[in-house]
Formats: sequence, C-alpha cells, structure tokens
Amino acid sequence: MSVAENSPLTKGYQPVIWNFKLLAHDMLAGFGGMGEGMSVQIAPDGRRIIWLAHESAPKNFTAVDVSDPRKPKVVCQTDLPHANMRSNSLETCGNLMAVAYQTSKKNSQPAGFELFDISKPENPKSISFFDCSGPHSRGVHQLWFCDGEYVHCSSGSRDFVPTHPLDDQFYRCIDVRNPSKPVEVGRWWMPGTRQGDNVMPPSRHPIDKGFRAHNCNVYPQRGDRCYLAYIDGGMFVLDISDKANPKKVSSWTNSPPYTGFMHTIVPLFDRGLMLITDESTENNAKDWPKLIWVLDAREETNLVPIATCPLPDPAVYAQAGRFGAHNIHENVPLPTAWHSDQIVLGTFFNGGLRAYDISNPYQPKEVGVFMPPAPPGAPTGTIQMNDVFVDERGIVYAVDRHVGGLYILEMDF
Amino acid sequence: MLDLFPSREAGPFGRRLKRERGARIPVTVVTGFLGAGKTTLIRRFLQSPDGAGTAVIVNEFGAVGIDDALIRDSAEETVLLGNGCVCCITRTDLQLALRRLVFDRERGTVPPFGRVIIETSGLADPGPILQTFSTDRALGGEFHIDVVLAVVDAVNGRAELESAAEARKQVIFADRLVISKADLATETAVGTLTRRLRVLNPRAAIDIAVAGALEPSHIVEPTTSERSGFVAEAEHGDGIKSFVIVQDQPVDWQIFSRAMETLIALRGADLLRAKGILNVAGCRGPVVVQYVQHLSHPPVELERWPASDDDRVSRLVFITRNIAEGDVTGLFAAVAALAKTQS
Repeated sequence: MSVAENSPLTKGYQPVIWNFKLLAHDMLAGFGGMGEGMSVQIAPDGRRIIWLAHESAPKNFTAVDVSDPRKPKVVCQTDLPHANMRSNSLETCGNLMAVAYQTSKKNSQPAGFELFDISKPENPKSISFFDCSGPHSRGVHQLWFCDGEYVHCSSGSRDFVPTHPLDDQFYRCIDVRNPSKPVEVGRWWMPGTRQGDNVMPPSRHPIDKGFRAHNCNVYPQRGDRCYLAYIDGGMFVLDISDKANPKKVSSWTNSPPYTGFMHTIVPLFDRGLMLITDESTENNAKDWPKLIWVLDAREETNLVPIATCPLPDPAVYAQAGRFGAHNIHENVPLPTAWHSDQIVLGTFFNGGLRAYDISNPYQPKEVGVFMPPAPPGAPTGTIQMNDVFVDERGIVYAVDRHVGGLYILEMDF
Repeated sequence: MLDLFPSREAGPFGRRLKRERGARIPVTVVTGFLGAGKTTLIRRFLQSPDGAGTAVIVNEFGAVGIDDALIRDSAEETVLLGNGCVCCITRTDLQLALRRLVFDRERGTVPPFGRVIIETSGLADPGPILQTFSTDRALGGEFHIDVVLAVVDAVNGRAELESAAEARKQVIFADRLVISKADLATETAVGTLTRRLRVLNPRAAIDIAVAGALEPSHIVEPTTSERSGFVAEAEHGDGIKSFVIVQDQPVDWQIFSRAMETLIALRGADLLRAKGILNVAGCRGPVVVQYVQHLSHPPVELERWPASDDDRVSRLVFITRNIAEGDVTGLFAAVAALAKTQS
C-alpha cells in the first residue's frame, strides 16, 4: 500500500498525541538511550523512584524521583565498567534491585546479574554478583524479579554449549533468598539448542535472531508457571512447580511465516487470555509485521490466536529506524504497578506508545497514541519508543531507545 | 452475548471510562441561524492553539465555506458538503464525510486530527444529527458529540426565535449558547435575549462572544449541567417541554431500561433528547445514558463520580414533545411496581 503523494506523512515524521497527556519529559542528563528495564520503588523515606536500565554503555542505570510526575528529578546515574557491555534489564522488589549484565562478546566479564541495596536511592550498594560468564555466554539479557526470592532470567552459563552461537541464552531460575549468595535452582532450554541434546537443532529463520530465551515472566496467580518467550523459537509455558525440573506445558509460535523474535508473554489470568509481543529489530520495517498478539488461553495446552492489535500502514513508518511491537506493560505483580486486563500499552519504536482497549479481545481497538517530536539528536529523526511501565496511580512512563530519555504521561481514555 | 473472557475489572457496561466519550473523537456541533456568526466563531477557534488538529465539516447551504487559507498544513481537513441541509437530505453525506476522514487518517492521507467541528446550515434541526451519532452502526463507535453549541445573533436572534421553530429547537437542544454581535445591540436587547434563552433552555451555559470569538474551551469542553442543575418543567412552545427527573436511591437498571424501552416504543418520535447520569445499583461509577428519539447510546460507566457529586443523585434531563414530566415519572413508577410484584 502506498501513501498518497500529497500526504503530510510523506513529508517526514509527524508527532501525534491522542488521548494521552504529557506531564513531563526528562532527557536524563544527556544519557537518554534507554533499555527495557523499568521498575518503581517506594523508597524508605516515601519518595517514589523509577529505576531505568540503559540501552547501552556508558551508563548502567538511572534513578528518577517521580513523586511529583510533573517534576521528575534524576537522583542517581551510574556507569558501566566498560563500553563492551550493557545492562538492558532490571527489576526492583522492595529495596532490592537486580540488574542484568550482558557483554557484547562471549567469554567476557562482567556477564551475569548484580543485586543492589537501593534503600538509599542516591547511593545504591552492591550486595552480590551472580556470574553467568563462560566461553559461549554473553551473560544475562533479561530478568524477572518480583517476589524477592527468585530471579528468573534469560542467561548463558559456563557449562552451556549451544548448537548455534546465537542460541546461547536459556531460562535460568536463581534463588536469591540470601541475596549475598545467589544459587541456581533450575534451568530449561529449547530442545535441540544445546550440544548433546537428543533432538535436531531447530531450522534457522530467514532473519536469524536465535533460538534463545527473552522474557521469563512468573506471576503469583500461577506461581507454578513461567511464561517464556524464546525469540525465534516462539513461546513456551513451563511448569516450574519443581523449580529444579521445569517442564514444558505448551508452546506457540507465529514463525514462519512471521519473522520471529518473540519477546514477552503476559497472561491475563481472570480472562483466560494471553498477550504476546514480537520485537521489531530491523530498520525500515524490513521485518514487518511485528505485532501484539491476543491469544485465547482458557486451555493452556491449546493456545489459540484470536486477534492482533492494529497498527497503522507500515509504509508511513518504514522510513527511519524500527517500526513494530516491542515491550508492553506487563502487569508486574508489585503494589507499585498498574494492573489491567482491559487496556494494553505497548511501545512500537517510531510508532511511539500506543494503547489498546481489549475489552472485546476479538477486536482490539486503538484508544491512545503518543508519538512525540523527535528528541534532539535522534539518529533516525523519529522517536524510537522502547519500553513502557505504568505505576499503580495510572501514571505512564515511556522511554526512548536512543536519546529521548523518559516521558511521563497520563492516560486520557 | 455470552462473555467468554469475563473481567472483574469491567462493569456491567464494559470497561469503565475516564470520561463519557472514552477514546472516541470529540465532536462539536455548531448550530445557529443564517448570519448568526457560526463561521466567524469557528475561524477564531481554528486560529487559537486549541484549534490545532481540528477537522471541520461545513454545510455550505447559504453560508460562506471556511476559507482555504485558513486550512493549516498539518492541522485541519475541511470537507465541504454539497448544497442542502446537513440535518436531513445530506445526513448520509455527513456520515460519509466523517467515515472518509477516519479512513483517510488511517491511510495517512490526512493529518492525524483529534477533533471535529460540524458547522450546520442555518435551518438545521440538530435532532437528526444527534441521532447519527447514537449507535456504533452509524458513527457512535468512532465519534462522540461533546458539545452542541447554538449561536444566537444579539440583533436578530430574538425575532428569529419567535418566528422560526428551527431556531427555538436549536436553542433547546444546545449544551452551550453563544450570543454573538452583542457589540451591535443595546444592553437591554442583550438582556432580553438572555432571559428568553434562559427560559427556552435553563440547562445551557450562556456565553457572549467578543469580536466573534469565544474562550476556546467553551467550544470544545462538555458542560456538566445534567450533574448540577435543577430544571423545573418548562414549556417552550411547539409542544416542546424540558424537565429533569431526579432519584436519590440507586437505580435498578432492569426497571429503568424497561421503562425507557416502553417510552421509546410508545413515544420515541416525541422523545427529542434525554441525557443524564445514573447511580445504577451495583455500579461503582456513574452511568451516562443518552437517548435521541428511537435510538439509545450504549450506556457508559465512568471510573468514578466527580468529587463535587458526593450525593450520587441520579439526574436525567428530558426534552420532549407533548410528553409531560408526570407521564414519564408515572411510567417509571408503574414499571417499578410491576417488577416488584412479579416475584
């Protein structure tokens, strides 16, 4: 589908604010390239702090006081030890924070995750480092930490030799009940991705992004389940009632014919629904369509896709940078997070932040769009909205992947 | 419909909304007789910062269309309808124009607009226009009328109200009334007109345009008169009446909806408009209901009651033709009594 020649959208990126109110924008002291770790802590002194992971070096994480969402204030910003690593993901639980470290090359340090005491947000104190490095490992890409007891992560390890170099990260469950001495209690990988498996390695996709773990969400409503996205391998529901021996319950994939990179699974337990996102990783929408999928999950062993959240014409957006789904608000099971099974908020890179009403899950309807003007210095000339988190007040925090930092919004629908 | 995916977060009327229109595109309908100053008012609004991102639909009947020079590169799309009255002959055109706007926006061939203003012809009856937005099948799924605004000329308006039933109806239906050209009329004339307007429509806010302009928020922000005002039954001539039914106790939805169904079945053509908020038993927030003749808008439950509305009294404003307040309250009482004795 082509865009009419006289379309104003062919003239360049057009900001849109529809049913959101922008309360504040903070460029985060000039280090506004943000990753996919966002978590809100109520500090012991009562301040509301949002902790943000950075997309890449030189910064590790940034803490912003958002007690007054109209006046955010950076209270802490830390550096990584070197430029060949990133801390793409983090989570907080009370005054504990877990930060994922992934190196750009294998067999490098530090690759794993670090636990911090954040009771004084201006001065986070390291408690321990859980090493996941190895000759075939880049460490931890993403982690989930909501119960104060276990870190569920996508990680490599010293003893894991993948059948393909891109398949290095798998699901690991780490007991951090003694935060100074984290201990692995269980792991699971897609059969065929580890050397020595008794099944054939999976067939590679045309756009080969790897058969490895991404988000590994665990919710108290079903503490015996891990909802594991596995990039080109689709997704898996794992039975983790015995954490030492996770077992596959079911799986689902859209690829092929779609182009892989399954990213996040969010079950909506009351409704028997499941949200699944892909991640767009190619510029100019070369991997289109990357979508948010809605699945009927009433029978967990037979997941049925029933809808996707509609996106605008990719031709309009395929001009600069990425366009397509990525992160969604995950109903993180913490008192500082908003929980909804009616509204889905997702980030779509140059498609900005979008909200969908899924009260009728067969027909998700767009109810809000936030595509701000390209932040100063944006290499694509557009926003590249990367992640979103909503606190229990309904305040929306969204971050740009390159330079734009933090946007704080109110939903208006 | 059997709900396969029930949610504890939703109410009996679906997702609770922050405001009545939810995410739908807000619409302001501007009515008023020929020469009343509608176009000037809209132009001035478009020139204000609040006017950005507005699509304007103009009915050209006898009026000057919006000047092309006023159409901003990125803010507005003007759709000029053919000759004829928006309210009847061109009602289909209005639907088509609005649907085309949405379609073109999705295709990226018009800028992303966030508001629509419909300028009606001077003779327009607002009732059928409101009907157009009543149901999802028509335009109600995408658009929501936030404001019905009637412009009344301070110089000629008084005479037009006496001589033209359409002019009276425009005033009676309005949420907001704007007196234009006040600088050309005597203070006494403006005062007389204001009193006449107040009699015709005691619910509506009345503003006086200054040099053809109005505070932009008064063109686009819905009023809350149903929530706060009390209106005694008023007779406006032409058999048109307006009155408010108030109920302190929570409303039983089954009884209420049955009574409204009966009223619509018997006298839908004479139920010109009914709108209000209800404290429905079992609902957390107020439920907004609206009826236009035979059509009812899908009820909407809001997230919470306004802080100023702590008494949670149900209020429903009726504009009817030859239906008295007592007839309606009697119907509600009869349905309630029958429902009570059923068991």
